[in-house]
Amino acid sequence: MDEGTVRRVAKVSRLDLTDDEVSIYAADLEDILSAFAVLDEAPTGEDFDLDPVPVEDRLRDDEVMAYPDPGRLRREMRTADGWVRGPRLA
Amino acid sequence: MSVMDLLAAVRDADERHRIFAERLEDPLAYEVEHAFHFSAKDNLCTSDFQARAGSRILEGYRPPFDATAVARLRQAGGLLIGKTNMDEFGFGSFSTNSATGVPRNPYDAARSCGGSSGGAAAAASMLEGHLAVGVSTGGSISCPASFCGVVGLTPTYGRVSRWGLIDYGNSLDKIGLLSASSGMIRRYLPAISGPDPLDPTSQVQPPLDMSGQIRSVAVPEEALTGLSGSMRAAFEDAVARLERMGVEVRRGAMPALRFALSAYYILATAEASTNLARYCGMRYGDIEQETDQSFNEFFSRVRSRGLGREAKRRILLGTFCRMVGFRDRYYIKALQVRELIIREYEEQFRSVDAVLTPTMPFVAPRFDEIESMSALETYQADFLTGPPNLAGLPHISIPCAYIDGLPAGMQLVAPRWEEGRLLSLAERWENGFEYRRPEGRA
Amino acid sequence: MRIGLEVHVQLPTRSKLFCSCSTSGDEVNSSVCPICLGFPGSRPRLNRKALEMGVSIAKFLNCDINEKVWFSRKTYFYPDLVKNFQITQYETPLGKDGFFTIGGRRIGIWRVHIEEDPGRIKRAGRSGEEVALVDYNRSGVPLVEIVTAPDLTSPEEARAFLTDLLIELRRLIGLSPNDETTVRADANISVGEERVEIKNINGLKSIEKGLKFEAKRQSKLLAAGKKISRETRRFDEERGTTLPSREKEFEEDYGYIGEPDLGTFTIGPMARAMKLPETPLARAARLEAEYGLAPTSARQIVLTSWELADMFEALARRAGSETATTWTLGAISAQWMELQERYGGRLEETIVPIIDDVRSGAITDAEARMRIAILAGKGSEAAKPLSSEDLGPLVSRLVDSNPDVVRDFRSNPRAANFLIGQVMKETHGRYASKEISEAIRKELEKRV
Repeated sequence: MDEGTVRRVAKVSRLDLTDDEVSIYAADLEDILSAFAVLDEAPTGEDFDLDPVPVEDRLRDDEVMAYPDPGRLRREMRTADGWVRGPRLA
Repeated sequence: MSVMDLLAAVRDADERHRIFAERLEDPLAYEVEHAFHFSAKDNLCTSDFQARAGSRILEGYRPPFDATAVARLRQAGGLLIGKTNMDEFGFGSFSTNSATGVPRNPYDAARSCGGSSGGAAAAASMLEGHLAVGVSTGGSISCPASFCGVVGLTPTYGRVSRWGLIDYGNSLDKIGLLSASSGMIRRYLPAISGPDPLDPTSQVQPPLDMSGQIRSVAVPEEALTGLSGSMRAAFEDAVARLERMGVEVRRGAMPALRFALSAYYILATAEASTNLARYCGMRYGDIEQETDQSFNEFFSRVRSRGLGREAKRRILLGTFCRMVGFRDRYYIKALQVRELIIREYEEQFRSVDAVLTPTMPFVAPRFDEIESMSALETYQADFLTGPPNLAGLPHISIPCAYIDGLPAGMQLVAPRWEEGRLLSLAERWENGFEYRRPEGRA
Repeated sequence: MRIGLEVHVQLPTRSKLFCSCSTSGDEVNSSVCPICLGFPGSRPRLNRKALEMGVSIAKFLNCDINEKVWFSRKTYFYPDLVKNFQITQYETPLGKDGFFTIGGRRIGIWRVHIEEDPGRIKRAGRSGEEVALVDYNRSGVPLVEIVTAPDLTSPEEARAFLTDLLIELRRLIGLSPNDETTVRADANISVGEERVEIKNINGLKSIEKGLKFEAKRQSKLLAAGKKISRETRRFDEERGTTLPSREKEFEEDYGYIGEPDLGTFTIGPMARAMKLPETPLARAARLEAEYGLAPTSARQIVLTSWELADMFEALARRAGSETATTWTLGAISAQWMELQERYGGRLEETIVPIIDDVRSGAITDAEARMRIAILAGKGSEAAKPLSSEDLGPLVSRLVDSNPDVVRDFRSNPRAANFLIGQVMKETHGRYASKEISEAIRKELEKRV
């Protein structure tokens, strides 16, 4: 993977990398992707599932069960009048 | 063991081997009536300890609920004595990628416990009668079990509810048990298994059948290449011993296994890179106080300082593998390869009861050896543990040899839902093979 | 001009899409739990009702239903998105390649899928430096996304499309009363070659306004010989303009992957077994076809009330469509509110016998009107006849203001029914229907 790609992927992932990190990761990921190339030879079909064991039609009924203590959850966050405070939007 | 003795043993083991991210320190708590003591890997949520999953970014996070597996062990009379150290979010095979402490091998403190459930394996190894709850995504139970000389069972995907498990790769993560021998695992696996309304993937399992037996195993030739000479010899001794126990051993080939590790790393990191997106300093853990920055800078700053080197590497890899233009070649292909591997195992299980390999290609490495390994070399160390994990199959690592005083394990893989057979075989093995305990064990 | 919409409508379930929190929370951040806040260790569980509603919408919109579906993670970073990925559907929407007909025109439906809503952001602070304050009560509320082909040809048509769609969905799954303000859309619009996307516009009115502004902006640029750049803009409600969206500084890569925690869902059999109720506009079309009602009358009847349409059909079956139209659009609809208040649910059995009496000659039109007025609680005042001098000018004024009825009347005498209804409404049923229809026919014939 070239350094430009590493920078772009880091941006998509919201990671700030130093130049040193970029060059280390570029080399590591190049190595790893080369190893992944073995998959091009794998005689696969088109089918796949998201889980290794089929998990089908597991649904819950539309019933309300309020969480007993939302205040406990709010205390993990920084709030102002109950609103969760976040960063600038622009 | 008296309460004070137990407390002293836990403290002593932790001080020497850095087993716990956080542990019960109040002697009075040990006085509580309990049938057994257990620990939980630090990526399992409990309301009485922080759950940092080995990461700085979760510093200070105390979950508002208990993981189902932990809650069920408490109900069964267990006392939770602490949260065990691990690679950050499970990212590693040596437990060296941790912000809360790197556990040291019970047999040689200059060596790794393996990973990512390194602390769990060390606790199982060092503490008499202890049950350690671990988690495996690509081998994180088998590997440390092998390095620390304990039994490690990784159940079928979906056997144990993942409610309360801090996700690494949701289609791969499995909660399992480690203990010095198979007895505790046999006793408490039924307690943590079973459907849970809080985890849909736990709801498709049949009841646990503990009566299964292993009469025949297949040894794929692919598993024996790349082993150290002494490991190869030790493994062949174990095979001979199994044959003497009456287990039929067939030598065969599983050519598709060579695709498994790449597919595993792609799926694991692709899923991990989305799971870790939520850690951004707004809602839990390391909360960023300075809001006067744009959201992109804010998120990037928190993530860059809170996530470790290996976490970043896996986020980059996983994000890349699912990006437009690469997604089909990597992510989708890996999903298809998983089907291929599942079929390859099914093919084996038509004629044998389990697949047998060594657990790891080598014994516990020294920390200085680990430091000189490249990222790819580290990943390749999982080549025997990756395949059953990718396929969601139950597997067990059983100590089978001691090489220069260091333990080594063998790994048996069974068909879906056949945890019982693996534990039956472990029990039979233990009747004829004596485990050596590390010094200072209590 | 080509316009395509990605419409988001909230599904009216009691609990959220992936957790049991209520979809309506009073206080800020009160209807939240570890799941809809994305706390580590929590995981989603799919609401059966939401899936069923989504499938019924896909089926209603004539989509090909996917036999087996799953959910996907769409990853992007924003303060309202608790996991920084949204659980939505990507490869396998519930349905695809359907259509919805408005005003006789088929609008293509590319896909229908369900997904979770992010939280709600309140902007606080100085313009340009606003920080996010977030209410996660909305986080995890189920949405259906309906993506149209770029088949809409004007902002007005886009609004008409949404209006009709909401009318149908209200009956199909029961939307919230303020659906016209809560419906959200991303719209893409191209006057020339290049397409501009306007993100996240709230409410019918704003969607039309935003599109109108954007259409004008693009036309002006083209007229001045300038190029339109392909971009994403946002609609500023206060200023009524679209602005370049500064928030997304580069093209996001959502990197979709499957959501393993939910598994897969076989919806084919569910969709095939599903019996959809007749929707209002479908019913109006049937009333036109079966009873020869004018389009506006048919729409008026079904939109006034479902029970009024029931009554119309009951009357039409017994007395023929002309009589049914006269009475339904006349005396009955004129006092519909009052009638429904007092006799809602049993109006058919209450009113049909009155019309039966008229037909058997037992009572006159005027007497029937009086009985209906009494039922409506209006008593004698409503029954008081006006002099016939008053009817003439009223009819002539109505005919003047409806030139299309005059035109239609030439080929189809039933076109007069619409005016009969109007007069009946205006005169509150004080004239015999026969009297009115004669006056109208006379007036129309004068102009043919």
